[in-house]
Order: sequence, then structure tokens, then C-alpha cells
Amino acid sequence: MLNIGRTRRWIVALGVIVVGGICAGAVIAAQVRGPGTPEGLEAAIDSEPLVLLADQPARNGLAKRGVFVQPTSAGFLCLWDAPSASSPARQGGCNPSSDPFAGGELFVNFVYDGGPAVSDVRDARLSGLVSEAVARAQVVMSDGTRRSLVLRGASVGAKSYRGFGYRLARTDLQMGVGPVAVVALDESGAEIDRQTTGFNG
Amino acid sequence: MKRLAAVAALLLVALAFSASASAATVTYGGYSWPAGQAYSTSFSPNWWRNVFSKMATFDTTITFIDNVSYSWHFTLRSHATYLQIHWLSSQTKKAHCRANQGSSAWAACSATN
Repeated sequence: MLNIGRTRRWIVALGVIVVGGICAGAVIAAQVRGPGTPEGLEAAIDSEPLVLLADQPARNGLAKRGVFVQPTSAGFLCLWDAPSASSPARQGGCNPSSDPFAGGELFVNFVYDGGPAVSDVRDARLSGLVSEAVARAQVVMSDGTRRSLVLRGASVGAKSYRGFGYRLARTDLQMGVGPVAVVALDESGAEIDRQTTGFNG
Repeated sequence: MKRLAAVAALLLVALAFSASASAATVTYGGYSWPAGQAYSTSFSPNWWRNVFSKMATFDTTITFIDNVSYSWHFTLRSHATYLQIHWLSSQTKKAHCRANQGSSAWAACSATN
């Protein structure tokens, strides 16, 4: 015969164990997060709007993408390469809003699919932001040539941003030619910053 | 009855742990960063976000590596202090991060499943 009192105690005990397990799991999950991950940044990235800065044109049979800027309430300015402003399938980085160029004049992200061998790279794109001191920007290619970058602007509230998107041509990739660096030039044409990409095709 | 309850309790605890840990962000690298130092997670179809968080700017790469061709996917190379990429697919993969230049600054790679 079923002992109702004992069954009830078991149900209560099981409830306590389940709640304890959930709490313990949550604590473990929290402890394995990076201790220096900026407070609130991931939540801000996930919920706050992205603003289109430049297009990554459709090329090599690949769909168009965009370069987006995202000032966040967490005190970071983020730069994304994404299919759209609302797409979670994005790649990018953030710097403190107080120093988005990390003491320089450029904030550059280099994204690619395929590799790591250069000959296996199917798509490669550069995206970047430039400071007010920059008049022009160029990509220095591994064959020694330079490609001019078209600087686009976007405003978010009172803030204005300038930046670029650049998608490598398939012919370049097939020949193992890629971006070695992005350089920033001032009005006189003098180089005022250089960010290397690590490409060594 | 006692045995049945014990088994049920164990199952529920396991379920509770897995439920709360299943949406976990796991730090898989963050100990020292000499140039070339790299870390990876184990292979799993569940990884979907890969993050490299740094206290200083230095040249780093994050990517996902599949378990068939070992090709790199959604790779990002940047000096930024916070890097984030996504691969929203059930393909079996591992998250991977690498320091392209050495740094003594605190930095950590983490992946979300």
C-alpha cells in the first residue's frame, strides 16, 4: 500500500535536489566564463543595434555582406562583418569606446573562410574603421601592389564613423595574392598607421 | 520504492546539471600568450560562439575547425581587445584561438555551446 507521507517527503527531497542541481550548474557555468570578459558586453552586443557602414559586395559567387558599427552601452565600440544588421552570424571585434583605435588611427578586422593554407581560402574580407586624421586608406597586397579603399561614413546619434569594406577577388586568392597590411595616409600622403594582417601568401 | 526514488533522484540531478551547463560558456585557453600559442576545445556539434577577450590589444586569431577536412571557418584575425565569431551549424567542430604575437596581458578564449 502506498505510504502517502513518505511519498510526499520523497517528492520534496527530489525538488530540493533538482533546484540544488540547477543552482550548482549555473554556478559552475558562471565560473568557467572568462574572468576579464567585459561586464555587460555580450548582452549589449546581442541586443543593441548595428548600423551599416559599408557594403562587402557580392563577389566570387558569394552573397553580399556588410560592415557594421555598433556603439554599445557597455563602453565598447564594435565592428562587424555580417550578412545583415540583424544576423547573429557575424564576425567582429570591439575596442573600448574611449580608445577605439588603440592609440593608432586604424581598427581593422580580417576575416576569411577556408585555410589555414592560403590556397584553400575561399573568401577573404577586410573591414575597418579609420580615425579623423585619416584622409585615405590602402590595402598593401602581397604582390607589392596597393588597392585604394573607399571610405564610407555612418552616424549614430551625434557620433560619426568612417570605415571600409574590401572583399578580395577570387583571382587574387587563386594566385595566392592577399592583403599584407592596411595603411592609413594623411592629407599629404604620409603613412600615419599600418595594421598588418598576417597574410603571407 | 527507495531504490526507484534514488535512481530518479540521480537522473534528475544529471538532467538539472546538463540543462544548466548545456548553455554554458567554457573558457578553454587563457594561461600564457607567447607568440604562436594556441588553444582549442574538443570537437562537438554544439559549439556556436567563439570569443577571445583581452586586456590589451595584440594580434590574435579565432576560428572554428571542422572534423572532416580540418578546414578553418569564420576565421577572424584582429588586434581588437574583444573578438567574437559564430558558426550556427550542427557540423562537428572545435573552437580554436591563437596569439600571433606574444603578450603578457591577461587574455582568455571561451566558447559557448
